[in-house]
Amino acid sequence: MNRLLRFVPAAVLTIVVAVLPLVVADRFLLKVFTFVGLNALTAVGLALLFGYAGQVSLGHAAFVGIGAYACAFCTTKLELPWLAGFAIAALLSALGGLLLSLPSLRLKGHYLAMASLGFGELMSVAFVEGSPVTGGVNGLGGIPFPAIGAFEIREPATLYWLVWGVVGLAALIAFNITSLRPGRAMRSLHGSELGAQACGVDVTGVKVRSFVLSAAFAGMSGALYASFVGFISPSVFTLSVSVNLLAMAVVGGTGSLIGPILSAAALTLLQYIDALIPGLARETAQVVQSFQADIYGLAIVLVVLFAPGGLAGLWRRRGGERP
Amino acid sequence: MGWTRRIVTLGLVAALGFTLVGCGSKSGGGESKTTEPYKIGAVLSLTGTYAALGTAEKNAIELEVKRINDAGGINGRQLDVIIEDDATDEAKAVSAATKLIEQDGVIGIIGATGTGQTMAMRSELQRASIPQVSMAGGNAVTSKFDKLVFQTPWPNKIVVPFVLQAIKDAGYTKVAVVSDSGGYGKDGHEIIVAEAKNMGLTIVSDQTFNAGDTDMSAQLTNIKKADADALLMWTAGKEAATVVKSATDLGLGLPLFGGSGQARAEFASGSGVAAEGFVFGTGKSLMPSNWPEGSEERKAVQDFADRYKKAYGADADIFAGHAFDAVGIVADALKRAEGDVDSAKLRDLIEQTKDLPGFGGTFTFSATDHNGLTADDLALYKIEGGKWVLAK
Amino acid sequence: MSELLQFFIAGLKNGAIYALLALGFTIVYASTGAINFAQGEFFMLGGMLGVWFSSLGLPLPVAVVAAIVATAAIGAAFELLAVRPLGAGDPLRVIMVTIGGSVILRQLALHLFGPDELPLPPFTEGASIKVLGAAIERQTVWIWALTLLAVLGLAFLYRKTAFGKAMRATSLQRDAARLVGVDTGRMVTYSFALAAALGALAGLAVTPLTQTVFDVGAGISVKGFAAAILGGLGNPVAAVAGGIVLGLLESMTAGYLNPLYKDAVALVVLLIVLFVKPSGIFGGGRREKV
Repeated sequence: MNRLLRFVPAAVLTIVVAVLPLVVADRFLLKVFTFVGLNALTAVGLALLFGYAGQVSLGHAAFVGIGAYACAFCTTKLELPWLAGFAIAALLSALGGLLLSLPSLRLKGHYLAMASLGFGELMSVAFVEGSPVTGGVNGLGGIPFPAIGAFEIREPATLYWLVWGVVGLAALIAFNITSLRPGRAMRSLHGSELGAQACGVDVTGVKVRSFVLSAAFAGMSGALYASFVGFISPSVFTLSVSVNLLAMAVVGGTGSLIGPILSAAALTLLQYIDALIPGLARETAQVVQSFQADIYGLAIVLVVLFAPGGLAGLWRRRGGERP
Repeated sequence: MGWTRRIVTLGLVAALGFTLVGCGSKSGGGESKTTEPYKIGAVLSLTGTYAALGTAEKNAIELEVKRINDAGGINGRQLDVIIEDDATDEAKAVSAATKLIEQDGVIGIIGATGTGQTMAMRSELQRASIPQVSMAGGNAVTSKFDKLVFQTPWPNKIVVPFVLQAIKDAGYTKVAVVSDSGGYGKDGHEIIVAEAKNMGLTIVSDQTFNAGDTDMSAQLTNIKKADADALLMWTAGKEAATVVKSATDLGLGLPLFGGSGQARAEFASGSGVAAEGFVFGTGKSLMPSNWPEGSEERKAVQDFADRYKKAYGADADIFAGHAFDAVGIVADALKRAEGDVDSAKLRDLIEQTKDLPGFGGTFTFSATDHNGLTADDLALYKIEGGKWVLAK
Repeated sequence: MSELLQFFIAGLKNGAIYALLALGFTIVYASTGAINFAQGEFFMLGGMLGVWFSSLGLPLPVAVVAAIVATAAIGAAFELLAVRPLGAGDPLRVIMVTIGGSVILRQLALHLFGPDELPLPPFTEGASIKVLGAAIERQTVWIWALTLLAVLGLAFLYRKTAFGKAMRATSLQRDAARLVGVDTGRMVTYSFALAAALGALAGLAVTPLTQTVFDVGAGISVKGFAAAILGGLGNPVAAVAGGIVLGLLESMTAGYLNPLYKDAVALVVLLIVLFVKPSGIFGGGRREKV
């Protein structure tokens, strides 16, 4: 009984997410909720990396960027079908994750954070300088909408379902990994690596796999972003984006997947509160607009201060499961 | 115990979700269309990297809208400009455009401040056929012609040849170039390289820097040994002051040239004596007295400069000027409307803009030119005593 | 030859700035085990407050000192309000708080001082000093002198005073330090104040050359963090060395290769160092807590 009840929050969340476009007709809201989904996708990967393998990445915007440029390049210049572009994007990002994770195996904590940050900054330079592929600083436009076969997905509601469908899939993969043996192994890494090793856990394998998977999720998010917006430029994949994504994973709480999804939602929606609060007078909305970033920063500080287990900790029993 | 917490949390999330749903369904209302205000959206960077530009633009837009409405509006209808902040972020620019179109029902959009944001919202505007008047100067905005997009600043493709001509006229042939690696600098750099060749100028040293660089001595040392006659700098960043200061400190002794990026009071005041004698090309309107006495341009620009100064206590910079033009172009188009205006009609009306005096110069659009400015709208300035004066 | 000298001077100038920031990172790391991502905002606040105080009519030296003191106070207040309540827990939570805090500080500066860049006059006016065909800006001399002063002052503080010994004890073993009567909580507050003061000093020293604006913090933060890691995190001497190495690396790349790639080259070197010798060029062996 109790085991089944554990899935109630996930089920409710799934239903709410799935029926939303049936109740919301507003294209703007659907667009914002789609951006939420794109961030949630990367946050799930980061949560896997951070919450289960104890690794911090400050360079995930680079993987989002690799995915976005790969998909954009494949669909515009090579004129490949969208699904092929999407798959190539995920693969290339995963490859990037593999390349970064192998030499990083010796690194931990702040050194890994620095290495990933350095990788992210290097990729930023590459996005600007690789103009034959990336369009340089002017960016790449005219990226087609996602299409499956001859069916083009261009309506906000269908795009929303596509993005959240991928989020659901990613969450399912992540859940399977974390609830099975390798997942428990990964969780143990967060506590003590030596301890895990002593228990016969393949620490290296778990680390590399989680890095590759989280990079692939980020790449898929990038590919979807590129097709959804239709235009990408290097300024979309900067360090500040990496920091925001990490904030979503951390604020969400460790060892949980719903937490990061909720925090991706909260932190993304916070950037639109002026437009989301119903009945706000325009003057008030403008004031709120100018303080939006302040509210965002304050929210991060407050959650970390008052909810030590992150958002995930908010619905856990006090003193029950380890946050 | 734990269950109550979970259910309450979920309830809160659900409540949030459904409150949001509520605000989505605003209907257009059935009032008589001929008395409702004209609704125009503006997407500006009020925070983030371009905050300085976006804030000046917002000031100018609000000033103009108030003036128009206080004078009775356009065709008896008020002009309602709804401003959204994109925080210098492209995803936010896209959502802002969607919000303006879907929730507010605007028929045209002014913006964005930056080139990236301008480009990012394009597919959204195309879907709804909403005309866009951009205040971003990047060549990318109009290099691929789009029938919905209009641009108010002087593009690099007219300013660069103008400044190169000035360098040539002064008798210099060997030019050293230093440009930033961002959009404005890169765009300008490409045109510099192409045009210099056409004009018979030689680029003897070609240096770049990144936004945020605090030291330029490596670039300038390389320029120093390159035996140049003149130094041309192409950037819109605050690093311009560092470049000229460093050039002075290293004893480069070269005449310095630049473009619209240096038409900001912050450049002259931030560079101090190092900027003395700096020559740059930009629009005539930087000094309204450039236009002939009694001309339409002079009246328009002088009037705007005076009102801006009175309202905000600061001089209007060129970004304010480009926003003034954006409102002016839209208002002028609406004025020519007969009957009700939708977005398609507004686009056609904007394209028919003819001889409209503004800050950028005299705007005349056509089916193939959505900027309409020429070298005739430009002038050459020199910095003397920390202020710009007309060169020569 | 004079070129090489000129590149060297430029490298030492930037290196000194990076060193001050890296010191700030190191000091906070030593006392909390966390990276303070608001370090760059202290750099920004130093310059901004300096401009503001001097616009109030204070003489430049007074304005500079006032800006350093005010930034140090903000650093201490930040620690008391946001870091102290976390207790001695997961360093990642401290990192998150400093990330949130840096957003707030940046926005405050935007609201208070506006979005435009602001200038500060050089500490001494006058033409640059010519040495063997190379030129040294007077402000560069100030940067070196102030950095040297800060480093010597820190060394004195850490080695010769009871306060410094308490700080070192805290950084080595927090619990043990508490046992012997050191108020470790207060030491963390002091470390934030000290890091903020160093950041402010760097910001003030460089503003006469570059001007300052509300969003300069993030970029310089990355450089300071990189310098601290390059040298070896947690060791003040290594932090200074890391800063200078980073500065020289950048200016040589800019001078002899292409200025466009100076950030990239510095990053590649950093990554290689990290992968080959994770404890930094000058860092000692790594201790792992089990």
